[in-house]
Amino acid sequence: MIQFTGVSKSFDNEYALRDVNLKIDKGEIVYITGPSGAGKTTLLKLIYMSERPDEGNIIVGGWDIDKLKQSTIPFLRRSIGIVFQDFRLLPNKTVFDNIALALRIHGIHPNEIKETVNELLGDIGLRHKANDFPQHLSGGQQQMAAIARAVVSKPMILIADEPTGNLDPDASTMIMKLFKEINLKGTTVVIATHHKDLFTGTGRKVICLRDGGIEKEVAG
Amino acid sequence: MKTLSYLFQTAVQNFLREKWINALTILTVTIGLLILSVFTVITLNMDLALKRWAKGFGIVVYLKDNITLEEMELLKGSFKKDPDIIAVNHISKDKAIEELKQIIGNSNPLLEGFEENPLPASFELKLKRESLEPSYIRSKAANIRQLTGVEDVQYGEKWLSSLNSLSQGMKIMAIILGSIIFIATAFVTYSTIKILFYRRQEEIETLKLLGATKSFIRMPFLMEGIFIGLSGGVIGLLALIGLYVFSTSKIIAFIPSMGGEMFSLHPYTYPILPLVGTIMSLTGSIFAVGRIKY
Ligand SMILES: Nc1ncnc2c1ncn2[C@@H]1O[C@H](COP(=O)(O)OP(=O)(O)OP(=O)(O)O)[C@@H](O)[C@H]1O
Ligand SMILES: [Mg+2]
Repeated sequence: MIQFTGVSKSFDNEYALRDVNLKIDKGEIVYITGPSGAGKTTLLKLIYMSERPDEGNIIVGGWDIDKLKQSTIPFLRRSIGIVFQDFRLLPNKTVFDNIALALRIHGIHPNEIKETVNELLGDIGLRHKANDFPQHLSGGQQQMAAIARAVVSKPMILIADEPTGNLDPDASTMIMKLFKEINLKGTTVVIATHHKDLFTGTGRKVICLRDGGIEKEVAG
Repeated sequence: MKTLSYLFQTAVQNFLREKWINALTILTVTIGLLILSVFTVITLNMDLALKRWAKGFGIVVYLKDNITLEEMELLKGSFKKDPDIIAVNHISKDKAIEELKQIIGNSNPLLEGFEENPLPASFELKLKRESLEPSYIRSKAANIRQLTGVEDVQYGEKWLSSLNSLSQGMKIMAIILGSIIFIATAFVTYSTIKILFYRRQEEIETLKLLGATKSFIRMPFLMEGIFIGLSGGVIGLLALIGLYVFSTSKIIAFIPSMGGEMFSLHPYTYPILPLVGTIMSLTGSIFAVGRIKY
């Protein structure tokens, strides 16, 4: 599903990622961990093409990113749900509309959008905040909304950058359960996190980054 | 379709959120269009006045006193054959003096000194409207002057050419002014949409990452441009109608004979202003949004 071959990326002549090789198969849940500045976010950005590699080759969902036409990029991104580390909720749209936006971009019918979004809001316990604006939510609630937007369109790949950074342990557990459910329905899940307890004991693949390189790949 | 209605809603929301800058832009568009249309109406009226005056325009051909009947018939025949001339009116010496007497009075002392009738006979020629071009008429008059039996030819030369160049000048001015205002108005919308576009950079970036197509991103801005142009056009039109009703009532009160002969603002010309406004603003917005790259 995702394959990096000899991928390097540098900012201001400093490597953020150096010669990364990895392969994530369809249906996997993979964790990416490592200290701050190790390159986790950069790696994820390369997957959804917010950054382009300086060297190496990336294949996502069968698309060779080098050869992708401008007009195909939106379609690649629609098959990826992204939880951004900084949420990226639109400040002038309500929580409902922020989540619905992902479906509107897919051109889904308003009635169906309403039903799907309300159901999801109920599942994650944010129904009472549906008509609030993101600025009026707590950090954890904003993160929940960001996660909801990423999963609502049932993407082929889910990318979550530090999805539990602002959540209390109960909410974290709930979110991990949500991710597992989505995974069972066929979505490949990639999670970047410092929280070791998210993956210890899961037996899933954990990629440890350090200084832009893969230090080791272990089972959690 | 549902996407379009969503984008429309978004455009309306964006429009209302930035109501002040948008209102200011609409005002500018309105003023631009108003200047443009007032100028156009004046130009059209000038042209109409020129044409109306020209309708009564004629050349007077004074005949020599010693002209023979034969020569006169010959002249008359050639005038009648001339495709530029629509009416030929012969005024004999007797008729000329009769007309003069009617004007100045029968027993006017002015007439008493003459033994013989001092007025020449003449032909009054009415010309086709399309032929009323100063240089053409000049050469035509010169030709007629060459004919046998013709003493002199007179027509309102200065009057015709100055009116003509005035109308010509107005038209050129209208075109230049029109282009300037078109570009200026398009540019005002351009800057406004550009500012709004930059203000929403962050939002646009998010939309791109969520997989929005270029038109999904672009459309609300173009719609906003259309709102601006359309509102400017409609307000401008209302102002123009108001101005027109006001000024025609004044003019008709001042010169009653102008009534009904003025260029009138027909309802079928109403859509022009909103349409022009929309085209101007849409052009500006298209340039403002520019190329979107992922
Ligand atoms: N846009 C950028 N411009 C310049 N440098 C950047 C940029 N993005 C990332 N970097 C640098 O690349 C390196 C890796 O950053 P990255 O955000 O991938 O780290 P991270 O592993 O996600 O860290 P964290 O755990 O704090 O989120 C850092 O040294 C960072 O300063
Ligand atoms: Mg990061």
